[in-house]
This record gives sequence, C-alpha cells and structure tokens, in this order.
Amino acid sequence: MEVRASGISDVGLQREGNEDAFSVQSSLGLYIVADGMGGHLAGEVASRVAVEIIGKSFRKWLETQIPEDELFGYPDTSLSRVGNYVLSSIRLANRVIYEMATQHEQYSGMGTTIVILYVTPGLIIAANVGDSRIYLVRDGRIERMSKDHTIVSEHVEMGVMTEEEAAKSPLRHILTRNLGSAETVDPEVFEIVPSGRDRFILCTDGLTDLANDHEIFEIAQGEHNPELLCRNLVDLALERGGHDNTTVVSVFVGDTGRHPGQGILTKIGGVAADAFAVLGRIRKKVGL
Amino acid sequence: MAKLILTFNKQVIREYSFDKDGITIGRNEENLIVIDNLAVSGFHARIDKAGSEYILTDLQSTNGTFVNDQKVGSHKLSHGDNIVIGKHVILFVATEADKIEGGDKDKKLPLDRTVVLDTVKQRELLSKQKVAPQAPKSPEKIGVLSFIDGSAMGDIELTKKLTKLGKAETSEIKLTGILMPPTAATISRRPSGYAISFTGGMTKLKVNGTIVKDSVQLKDFDTIELGSFKFQFYQKEIKS
Repeated sequence: MEVRASGISDVGLQREGNEDAFSVQSSLGLYIVADGMGGHLAGEVASRVAVEIIGKSFRKWLETQIPEDELFGYPDTSLSRVGNYVLSSIRLANRVIYEMATQHEQYSGMGTTIVILYVTPGLIIAANVGDSRIYLVRDGRIERMSKDHTIVSEHVEMGVMTEEEAAKSPLRHILTRNLGSAETVDPEVFEIVPSGRDRFILCTDGLTDLANDHEIFEIAQGEHNPELLCRNLVDLALERGGHDNTTVVSVFVGDTGRHPGQGILTKIGGVAADAFAVLGRIRKKVGL
Repeated sequence: MAKLILTFNKQVIREYSFDKDGITIGRNEENLIVIDNLAVSGFHARIDKAGSEYILTDLQSTNGTFVNDQKVGSHKLSHGDNIVIGKHVILFVATEADKIEGGDKDKKLPLDRTVVLDTVKQRELLSKQKVAPQAPKSPEKIGVLSFIDGSAMGDIELTKKLTKLGKAETSEIKLTGILMPPTAATISRRPSGYAISFTGGMTKLKVNGTIVKDSVQLKDFDTIELGSFKFQFYQKEIKS
C-alpha cells in the first residue's frame, strides 16, 4: 500500500501568530492537526502540547501493544484496540492541557481542537474534537470523517438550522467540545477500511470557513500530489482573505495518482499515458 | 432579568444586565451600551421592557439596526437573537436561558475562538447560550442486521464502529461458504450514518438488488445480499 502525505501551515493574512500545529509521521502512519485558542498566544502552547502528547503516547502504546484496560480512561467497546489507543491519547492530551490551563495564569482559558488520522493497510482511524475537520475523497465523492463540535452544527443536526444558515451565523465558531476546557472529553472516533484509492484532507477552519465541501472536493480530485493539494488549498484560503491561521495535511492512501488498467503505461507517468491513450484511440479509428 | 452581550469579531467585549425599563445603544457616551465606531449613530437604537417582552427599536440610525440579518424598525426580541449594529453583534439572552441545561455530555464549556475566558462568569454565560430554542436531543440508535435467509444467524447488533463480515476468525460477523473470503465486506459507522463497503473477493455484494463494488450508505430496511447470505439493515433506539 502506497501512502504519500504532506502538510502546510500558514499564519494567514490577518493574524499575528500561528496557533495551529500539525505533524506528519508517515513512518508511524499518524497524522495530526490542531487549532489552538486562548489569549496571548497560549493557543500556540495548547496545540503544540496536544500534537506532542498524542504523538508520543500513541506511539508508545502501539509499540508496546498495551492492553486496553491499562489505557487512560475506560476503553470504548465499539472501537478496535488501536482505536482505543487513539481515543486514550486524546483523553490524555486533554487532561494535560486542562491541568496546565487551570494551574497557570498565563495558560488560563487555553484550548485546542484536534483531528487525527491513523493509516494502516487494513484499518484507518479518524478522530476529532472541535471544528477542525477530516475529509475523505473516495469513489468520486467527498465525505466528512469528523463531526463538528459546534453549537451551530448541533442545531443543524436537530433540524433547527440549515447548513447554509450555520455557515453564516456569527456564532459558528463557538465550540461545544475542545481539549483543555474540561477535565474529561468525549472525542469522535471512526474506523474504516482502505479502499485502495483514498485521499484524506485534515484541516483547520481557516480553510473551511472560506471554502465549502464541494470546492475542496474539486481541488482534491484535480491534484495528483499531496504537496500540491495542500498548497492549492492554503492558497485558496489566502486568496479569499486568509483571516485565520490555515493548516492542511493531505494523505493519499494506495493512490498513485495514475490511471488504472494501463499496465506498462503506468510506469511512464500520467502525461505520457495520456499521449498513449490518444494514440490508442487513433489506432482504433484507423482500424489497427 | 435579560442580559445583553456585546461582541465584536466573535470576541466578547462586555455583558450588560437589563435592570432598567429601557436602555439605549449608540456612539454617544450617554448610552448604556456605548459603541465607539463610525458605523454607529450617536443614539442608534433602544430596547424597552414592556411586561415580560423586550422591544428593540431603531432610532432612525444612518446604517440601520439588524436582527439575525434582517433590518428592523421595531422588533420583539427572542432569546438568542443577534442584534447587529454597525459591525458589533449584541446577543440577547433572555431569563429562560438559565433553565436550559447542557445535557450529560462534556459540552459545558463551549468556547469562542478568540475569547479569552478569564472569568468563570463569562464561561458560565457562554455555556448557557443557544442561538435557537433548545430542541430535544434525538435518542441514540444502533444498527442491526436481521438475517432473513433462514441461516439461523438471527438479529445481530452492530456494536462496533467497524464490523467485518467474512470467513476470518477475527470477523465480527462470521460467514461461511466456499467462495467467502476472509473479509467480504465491512460496515462502518460514520458521521453520516452506517455504510457498507465491498472489500473484494469472489462473493458479490448486493444492496436492494444492485451490485455494489465500492461502498453505499445504508438506510433503514435496505436488503443486503452477500454470497448466499441475505439480511436486512435497520436502526433501533438504544435504551439508556
């Protein structure tokens, strides 16, 4: 299974500091994005602490294959063991940030969102807290692999507000869950199986505030390279004002960006393959 | 007693209690809520208390007063209304807000992105806000596969986020058959609901008679065929 990944974080055009953080660890198969908040750049601390702690604890538990009942908090029986590793690492990060925020004046009120993607050949785990998102592009469709924890999204779910109204509401950024504001947290965790051709996008709301799902989908379909995809999406946010920090991590799983069923042509590359396709059509026309 | 929360760019600036019968808003310092911004008129709007109702009136301001994106002359305020004056948003919080509870999940501290929540009071206030009336939360549901092919599999609850169907011992739902691969299909519970995915092999996956080669979202009473097995999907409420 081939995995290619890339990540970019941009401070944007209006903010002084970048309170987003991310990590791309392809050797581990772990990808994380966090959007921090809090006064005086405490958000920067929260997001970095989250990324650090989750990365380290997850790696440790994975390597030692620690039993589920020794994890941080009760395991979730609807998840696989690795799913519980992800869940617990989030809980642990939350606890640390919460303790820091309540015990130190300079960190008071700090918090962060988190999105995590863990990729293996047989299982993919997507987890989130807050309103940073994970998108999956598969079978010509885009699907969210995260659930927004905002007041407005709860209202959309309850049928009290439409998606369009939510997107314009001045209170659309008020979160109902994040890491650091409470002693415990209830993350979303989803498990799926790779399809052989999946593209994931992890991003903060610096992007999703300025681009809708369909636009992200169109750009994701058009780019065959995760670095360019990240660049394209960040540039789009900047073109549209860049009012917030914008971070995008993109992971292509089992997707070589080539066209299926062309045998030896796949070794030559996309452009040459197109040329041969044209040649093939001409040949057919001419009856060869 | 109602409260008015003055915000700018999603940042809470101040909260005001409505303890008089009428208050005014504007750039002039004599107003209760002073907004020092060029888009705001000297005396821009007023809110009067009449019994248990609160009426917002625009005072012929240059740029107008808006409630939830609608321009108003005179408007009876409801809990959660966003009053927009210039670029400032004033959130109207009615007394009933105190009775709204957050529920059993960890959502007691929603945060505005740029707010520095220094005070416990601010946190409490923000935690009680709902921009629309509180609707009852829909009960939790769980997916069930009901086997209708006489195979004695019965009804199986989908207790896992990811359920694997196949011959493998590690499958959540073990299915037998000569052509059955270790994993023939998977059902995963996603943000948008349950979906079934074909994972390859000799056994065909059909949903409502149509062959599925990739994945498809499941609706209540969809009929699924996998090899010689046939089952129906539906969701039932979990009793807490």
